[in-house]
Amino acid sequence: MTSRREFLVLLATSTAAIATGKAMQTSPTDVDLSKYKWSMVVQVDKCTECINKMLEKQGIKFDKLPLDKQNELLRNIRPPCVKACDLANNVPRMPNNPRFDCYMIRIIAAKATEDASWRFFPLMCQECEHPACVEVCPTKASYKRPDGIVVIDLHRCIGCRYCMVACPFNARTFTFMDPLEHLEKINPEVPIRKDGVPMKCEFCRWLIDMERSEGVKNPKPVCVQVCPYNALVFGNLKDPNSEVSKIVRTSKVVRLRAGLGTDPKVFYHDL
Amino acid sequence: MIEFKKIDGRSNGYWLVCGIFLALTIWGFYAWYLALVYGHCVMGLSQRVPWGFGTAAICYTIGASAGSLIVSALSGVFGKEEFKIFSRSACVFALGTIVAAMLSIMQDIGNVENAMNVLLHYNPTSVFSWNSFLYSSYFVIGFVYLMAQFGEKRRITKALAVLAVAWAVLVHSGTGGIVGFVYSTDLYHSSLTIPMFIVSAIVSGLGLLIPMWILTFKWTNRPLDRNLMWYLSKVMGALTILLLYCFAAEALDTAYVPGNSGAIHMALFNFRYPYAWVFWVIQVGGCLLTILILLTPWGKTDWGMGIAGFIVAIAVYGERYTLITPGLGYPKDLVPGMIFRPFWIVPYYPSWVEYAEIIGLMSMACLVYCIGLKIFQILPERGEVEEA
Repeated sequence: MTSRREFLVLLATSTAAIATGKAMQTSPTDVDLSKYKWSMVVQVDKCTECINKMLEKQGIKFDKLPLDKQNELLRNIRPPCVKACDLANNVPRMPNNPRFDCYMIRIIAAKATEDASWRFFPLMCQECEHPACVEVCPTKASYKRPDGIVVIDLHRCIGCRYCMVACPFNARTFTFMDPLEHLEKINPEVPIRKDGVPMKCEFCRWLIDMERSEGVKNPKPVCVQVCPYNALVFGNLKDPNSEVSKIVRTSKVVRLRAGLGTDPKVFYHDL
Repeated sequence: MIEFKKIDGRSNGYWLVCGIFLALTIWGFYAWYLALVYGHCVMGLSQRVPWGFGTAAICYTIGASAGSLIVSALSGVFGKEEFKIFSRSACVFALGTIVAAMLSIMQDIGNVENAMNVLLHYNPTSVFSWNSFLYSSYFVIGFVYLMAQFGEKRRITKALAVLAVAWAVLVHSGTGGIVGFVYSTDLYHSSLTIPMFIVSAIVSGLGLLIPMWILTFKWTNRPLDRNLMWYLSKVMGALTILLLYCFAAEALDTAYVPGNSGAIHMALFNFRYPYAWVFWVIQVGGCLLTILILLTPWGKTDWGMGIAGFIVAIAVYGERYTLITPGLGYPKDLVPGMIFRPFWIVPYYPSWVEYAEIIGLMSMACLVYCIGLKIFQILPERGEVEEA
């Protein structure tokens, strides 16, 4: 039979244990992350210059190409940002198999009128503030971190592809087959996906988390780091002194499909 | 008092039918095995069209199940006592098809080993999450309803019939919501999708049950009142007309948005892709042919009613296909107000694996029904209304 004293000691110990456990649960990382709102500005002028130079080198006149050739070219073009992203994030590329080819960044060409010149820019996950993919995910495998990055928990994902259907930007791709067979190199810092799950740009969260923990003030995803034209600007929207904040505050920037209300955090300048 | 009896199930014909359904079921499971081993690349899907026949199969089987359960409850809910003779068999078929529906979800998802997460990590904003609970509870309600029928508990059966019909409507509304609430795809977002799903559920349920009952009663040498079948066929015909009306209303609703013009033109009029063919030939053509058959004197015969039911059941599958795939095949308007590239329409053709999976699952539901006839008392001695 437990005495009253023993019972009280047990109660106090349990309470203390629960309180300690709770205190340990609140990781400082979570608190830190809410200070950030990672965002990107794409300077379309510079991207266009980069792609135009690449096409010029190959003697290709994009405007003169028929539609199917334009599509094929854009599917396979790999400027430094795309190349670096593919390698750093273990993206299984299958240029000869467009049905199953995975990507995190795609190059899009756009123009306002038939006689205007083409503008080129990268399209990646727009890291929406109100992401449709998170809303529809049946297992909460897609979720938004406190710093605004939308991520996929591969241990929870069932591979239903509802997120892909709901995404307004086709920013997600699906591993229709084992990705390992299609990787040029493996980055051990990034989880290697299995077949049957979606993938998307997560602003190289593995890298920015690592750099942030090492005290780097302005961590950057690989695409931003390798861009030879400094066309991609990355930073914290919650910091009024960050370059991203300044551009968004002072320049005319647009967001893709803004009318849907998903509130993307990728801004396009000079589109 | 209606006397329900087991069938003997010893004839060569019975074993042949069971054998055919079993073989098709095994074929379907073999196709699933291939998808598990090699990944979803064995299907006709692509990065742009990640939902196809498999997702259509989920919607279809749930609809057929909901429709069958509503038909099963005709006597309990709507007081149509003359249809009580069909209530048990319709309920067994509804349970068989909901199991097929849940299996088709398992076949369609890419990461089966994580399937339990749907129940463990509930997301209140996801229609899919609502459905995981609706489907499982629907099965339980249907099963209890069937048990109550076996126990001849009149009041409980009536109460459960009302609950089962309400749940069937809810379940299929949830399924319609999976597609109807997606706002980012030009051809998806429509408030008409949900009511249309309910109508097509009853149509496909009746479409499958009518030929099944005609064959069952014929092959077990039981008399079947043709007037009852004709009544159900007329209901099916009337609902098929309503379904055509819904197709027209939904197509016009989408077409009147100027931004959707390209997508709707492709889905309905561009015959270089499979979508328009499926819409006009299978979906609309199938419905029209059903109505036409039922309007002729031949439509009142067993063959006429059976074939009409079978055709409309396929037409509803076509509707599921056109509801899901053309919206994905047409490129999303990534840069509104601008001309953009890459811009190409992705045609979707299901692979044999996808055909095998859906045929296998429907065969499994039919096999469950055949075995149910042998081990449970679900078929009446006479398929006729007894004079008072």
